[in-house]
Order: sequence, then C-alpha cells, then structure tokens
Amino acid sequence: MTTAQTDEVVKEQGAPVTPSDQRERDRMRRRLARRRGGGWWPYLFLAPWFVGLFGLTIYPMLDSLYLSFTNFDLLTPAQWVGTDNYERMFTDDPVFWDSVHATLVYVVVSVPLKLALALGVAMLLNRDLKGIGLYRAAFYLPSLLGGAVAIAIVWRQVFGGDGLFNDFLGWFGIKGQDWISSPDTALYTLVLLAVWQFGTPMVIFLAGLKQLPKDVYEAAAIDGANSVTRFFRITLPLLTPIVFFNVVLQIIDAFKTFTPAFVISNGSGGPLNSTMLYSLYLYKKGFTDLQMGYASALAWVLFLVIAGFTAVNFIAGRYWVHYDD
Amino acid sequence: MGHQISRRTLFRTASGLAVAGTLGGALSACGGGTGAGSTSSDLTMTWWGSDDRHAAYKKALASFQKDNPKIKIRETYSGYDGYFDKFNTNIAGGSAPDLLQMDTALVAQYARKGVLAPLDSYVGNSLDLTGFSKTLLAAGTVDDKLYGVPSGIGVNQLTVNRSGLEELGLQLPDREWTWADLKKIATDVYKKSGGKTYGVDDGGGGTLQAFEVFAREHGETFFSDDGKKLGFTPDTLQEWWEYWADMRKANASPPPAITSAAHNDLTKNAVVIGKALFTFDSGVYGAGGSITDAQLDFLPTPQGDFSGAREGNFVNGGVLLSATKASKKVADSVKIMDFFAQSETAIKDMQLLRGIPPTEKARNLIASGLTETDKLNMENADYIAQRVSKASNALPAPVPPPQGADQIWDLLFQSNLAVAFGKKSIKAQLGEFFDQAAGILGG
Repeated sequence: MTTAQTDEVVKEQGAPVTPSDQRERDRMRRRLARRRGGGWWPYLFLAPWFVGLFGLTIYPMLDSLYLSFTNFDLLTPAQWVGTDNYERMFTDDPVFWDSVHATLVYVVVSVPLKLALALGVAMLLNRDLKGIGLYRAAFYLPSLLGGAVAIAIVWRQVFGGDGLFNDFLGWFGIKGQDWISSPDTALYTLVLLAVWQFGTPMVIFLAGLKQLPKDVYEAAAIDGANSVTRFFRITLPLLTPIVFFNVVLQIIDAFKTFTPAFVISNGSGGPLNSTMLYSLYLYKKGFTDLQMGYASALAWVLFLVIAGFTAVNFIAGRYWVHYDD
Repeated sequence: MGHQISRRTLFRTASGLAVAGTLGGALSACGGGTGAGSTSSDLTMTWWGSDDRHAAYKKALASFQKDNPKIKIRETYSGYDGYFDKFNTNIAGGSAPDLLQMDTALVAQYARKGVLAPLDSYVGNSLDLTGFSKTLLAAGTVDDKLYGVPSGIGVNQLTVNRSGLEELGLQLPDREWTWADLKKIATDVYKKSGGKTYGVDDGGGGTLQAFEVFAREHGETFFSDDGKKLGFTPDTLQEWWEYWADMRKANASPPPAITSAAHNDLTKNAVVIGKALFTFDSGVYGAGGSITDAQLDFLPTPQGDFSGAREGNFVNGGVLLSATKASKKVADSVKIMDFFAQSETAIKDMQLLRGIPPTEKARNLIASGLTETDKLNMENADYIAQRVSKASNALPAPVPPPQGADQIWDLLFQSNLAVAFGKKSIKAQLGEFFDQAAGILGG
C-alpha cells in the first residue's frame, strides 16, 4: 500500500476520525447480517403468534365493529342499519340499564372488598412460619376454581333456600331466605363469590411485600412507630404500584364477569335482572335472542367503558402511586 | 440503575398488555360469519330431553341403523337449557346438525329464516304421515309448507300430586273445573297442611299452560295472526295478575322466591320440592324430588266461571323433527322421521317420551305397556283433545309464535315476578309490559 492511496481515501471520507466511521461499519455489519438471512426468519418464528393476533383477535374485532352497525341474526346476512343499535341501547332498552346498574354495583362493591381481603391475607402470610407455603397454597386454592362452572353450581346450592348457609344461620336461630332467588340479595352472592377468590391479587401483594426494604421498618421501630402507623406510613405507600396494578386488573376482570352470573341465575340474569351482568346480557342478546349486531354494539360500548375506566385509573394513579425509583 | 427496567415501566407494560389481552377477548368473541352445512360423512342428529328420552332415542336409532347400515348417525343430546343457543351458534359456524328435534314454538322463526328444509315433496313418498290429523300437522306447518313432523299430541295440563292431596283428605277436582275451583282447593291445601304446603305454583307468569289458555277463554289469542302484535288486551292481563295476586295473598300460591328459583329449572319446581301439589309445568314426573314415590295425576287447565267463557284449551304437536336446509342428507333425515312416525319399534321405544303418540295406531301399540302415571297422562290428554274437537266456540289452534316470542314469554314471567316481589304495582307493570312487548315484536 502506498501512502498516497491511503491519503486519498482519507480525503474522500472527509474526516479520518471515528464516530461516522463507526456508524458506517455498523451499517455494513447489519447489511451483511441481512444478506445472511437475518431479515426474515425472526418473522417465521413469530408467525404462529401473528396468525393468532390477526386471525383470532384483530380480524374478529374489526368484524364485530362492522357488525355493531348492522342487524345480524346469525342465520341471514347482516344488514347495515347505521347507528340504530347504539341509539336503541341508550334510549329504548330498559334491560340494558338494568345490566349497567347490576354491573356497576358489582364492580364497585366487589373490587375494593376483594383487594382489601387480598392485602390482609397477604400481610398475614408474609412471615416465616413453619409450613407457611401450605397456608399460602390453601388460600390461593379458591382462585384456581375461579371461573369454573362447578363452583358456581356449588354457590347456587349453598345460598339456596335450603342451602348450607341457611343451615349455618339456623344455628344462631336466624331464619334465612332464598338468597339466590331474591332480587335484593342475589347480586351480593355473586359479589361474595368474587371476593372469596382473592388468590391472584393476594399472590401479587405477597410478592410486593417481600420486596419492601427492611431498613425502613427497623428505623421506624426505633422511632417508636406502632404497627398501624407502620402499615399506613410505610407499607401502603411503598406498595402503591402493586395496589395500582391490582386495581386496574381487577376492575377489568369484574366488568367482564360472566360464568358465575350465568350459572347462578340459570342463564336468565334473574330474578328481575338483578344478576344480569353486562357480559351475560351481551351473550343473551347475541346467542339466545339472535341479535348479534346489537350484541356487537354492546361489546364495543363495554370496550370503551373499560378503556375509559382504565385511562382514568392511569391518570388518577399519577397522584397516589408512589414509585421508588 | 439507569440500565434496568424501572418498576414503573414494568407495571405500565404489564397493565397495558393485560388490558389489551382481556379487552380483545371480549370483542373478538362476537365476530363470526355464516357458513354452509356440515361436511362430515355422518348424519348428525340432535335433540333435547330427559335421560329417559335420551335412552329411548338411542335405543330406537340403534334398531334403525341395523336396518339401514349405510346411514351412519352421530347423536348429540342435552337438556333444553342452552339447546337453541348451541343450535344458533352451530348454524352460524356452518356446523348445523342434519336432523334435529325442533320446538313447535320456534319452528316458524327458523323456517322463515330459511334454516329448515321443507318436507312436502317427501310426504306420501318416503315420508308416510298416514293417521296424522290436519290440526296436528299444523304444528309443523309454516306458510303452508311442512317443516317438521310432530312427535305427538301436546296439550296443556296441570300435574297433580294426588297422593299428597289424599293425605290431606282432599279430592282430586273434576276435569271440568274452573279458576274458582283451583283457588278453593289450593287454599284448602295450605290450610289443611298447617301452612307447610302451598296449593299451586304461581301461574301468573306462565305462558303456554296458563295465561294463553286464559286469554283464549276471553276470545283473545296470545299473538295476533300476523305475529306482529300481541293478541290480548291489557284488561285481560290485569284480570289475570289480580287473580294471582289474590292467590299469593291467600297462600294458595307460594311466595316469589320459590317461583323465581323454579324458573328454567324443573328440579326446583314447587311440586318437585314438596312446596305445592299442583303445577303448570309439564314434565315434572321423572324430575325426582318429593314426588318420586307419589301417585301423580293430570288435569286440564281450568277454565270458565265468568260469563261468555269459551273453550280455551288447544292441541299442539309435542315436539317436531326437522331437517336443516344446508344439509346434504335431507333424504336420509326424512327416512329417520318416517321411522319415528310409523315404525312399531320406534313407537314402542319412545312411549310417551315425546308426547302422546300422534296416530290411533301408535296409541294402541303402546297402550298395554304403560305405567299407571303414563296411562293417566294419556287419558287426560285424550279428554282434552276430545273436548277441544267438539267445542263449537274454540278459537283455531294458535299460529306458530313469531320471532321474539321467547322474549315476550320471559317478559311475562319477569313482570309477574316484579308484581309478586312488590317492586311494581299491577297497573305500572301493565304499562311497562305492553311498551316493551311492542318494542320486541316491532323491532
């Protein structure tokens, strides 16, 4: 190599020093990698997921958006009706409002109770006892039964007129009633079922509690803070990200509850629509009354409501969620 | 810590993913499209019923297949609950059964939507309907075409726990009883049982066996002939609800919690759980419970005790067998319908499990092998059929119920319940009922 040649190259590139040089080399390397086939094969491995995403989620979602503007009875082709379904929902469907009412009560009552219970039990289980793993498993167990039909059937028996719950009340001389068949109490048997299945948020709380720094507690103990103060001044503030996470998920889950309402009310949402949770009404409209267009519109309203609740949660979270880092 | 994922980001991402996942599920569950019929080589047949009916169908079909080895039948069966939900989904998904048991109440709806195959071209050829009366075939006929073969004569009757009645020293009422007679004996049951048993389950929200008969006695139908309106007046419904309000007040009928629990659930029926002795629900025998060992009996729906009363009872077609239009095996399905209509084996296997057999020949075939309860059931059905055919003032049999009928029936049930729970006055509920019914039938 002659120095003249080298000089020329250097001149061509403008500056002999590194940054742009380095970038050029990286670009080359990437181009080479692509030529070796690195460009497309990752997508091959992702393909099964893409098929699922587009075929089973995005396409059906768009289809249901289209259907929500049609009159579709499942049996004959859909007919475009514009926004009729949405108008009918808000102006001419009393059962829709019954279902909105039942669902809101269900969400507002069950979510805080469930989270409070989950946190309470997580606190109890967050200690080093012999066989603590066994206790944790035992408390988690109901959640494994979760959405199962079997447990809902059991619930129907327990809170029926001649069920176990009334036998239990009988020991104290209280004469019970048929909790499932009374419009004033039926929804609360569903709330109770939801609260009882506190396992998932409990496990998440437990994981969060285990991460809390010990030194803060030691300092607090030295300063003479009692356990109540420690809970409200240290545990709860440090745990807010976890609380937030659980609140978001549980609200979404509660809005979508279907199985227990379906089984306990025998698919009717009764008595008097008191257990007509939104998803159940949606199902009834779509598959029993053959109004799939209307049901699709209901689904999109639910989607927007849940999205709205979640957005509000995230915005409100800025003011009460405390991040460590 | 800059290179690590902050807890904040982690939670944001996790929540976001969870939200996306859960929401997507709710929405995508509603997509779908219409497809063609089943492509499997088996003939698929589906029905609903009790365990007894399942066993009888399977036995009969087994002997059919022995004679027709070329037709391979795949059977699916369940209870009534959810049966039509599943059928709807199957049609939409292109996997509808070839042959199915169809409800007389829903046949018009499905026929008009082009789901069912018309059978007229087979009648007299591979489908022998000798002995089926014209009024009976009307149950499967929509717009002058036959879409379903009736399984038998269906009548509206009350089931009575006769043993329970006799234990209280009460007599089974005469078949020519009236609504006033029902009230009297139901009140007596409550009094004589020391308040342990109510008389009759609350019929205020019961449609076919109860209110429809009552409306017809007033010369009104449940649905107008074109199916676009209700056929009865608010006055009639008011009179009906007032009757049942009186019944509940006198403890002749149980409180609403019992009525509500029994909705769509025969095992919670007031007679089955031992809380009443008379029920408008059909098919309670075989449901077990407190009546397992009791002798049951049957009575026509009461009628009359006011001036101008007419014959309100009517005869319909039990259940139907229908073929789906998209099926490629309609001819084979028709063979099976013919088998159930005329074959001695099938008639003997099915007994009364699909209603009182439709033809004289079939009734004679099974007469000797019947249980006491079945005999009483057939006797009473026969009595009603005779009386209806002789009546000079009876309305024609009801038209097949229009689309939305099941929603109206449910509305009637829920309305009566709202009154019974004291949530609404009869007057207020009447207005709501007619408003909502108009919306359902009009839309």
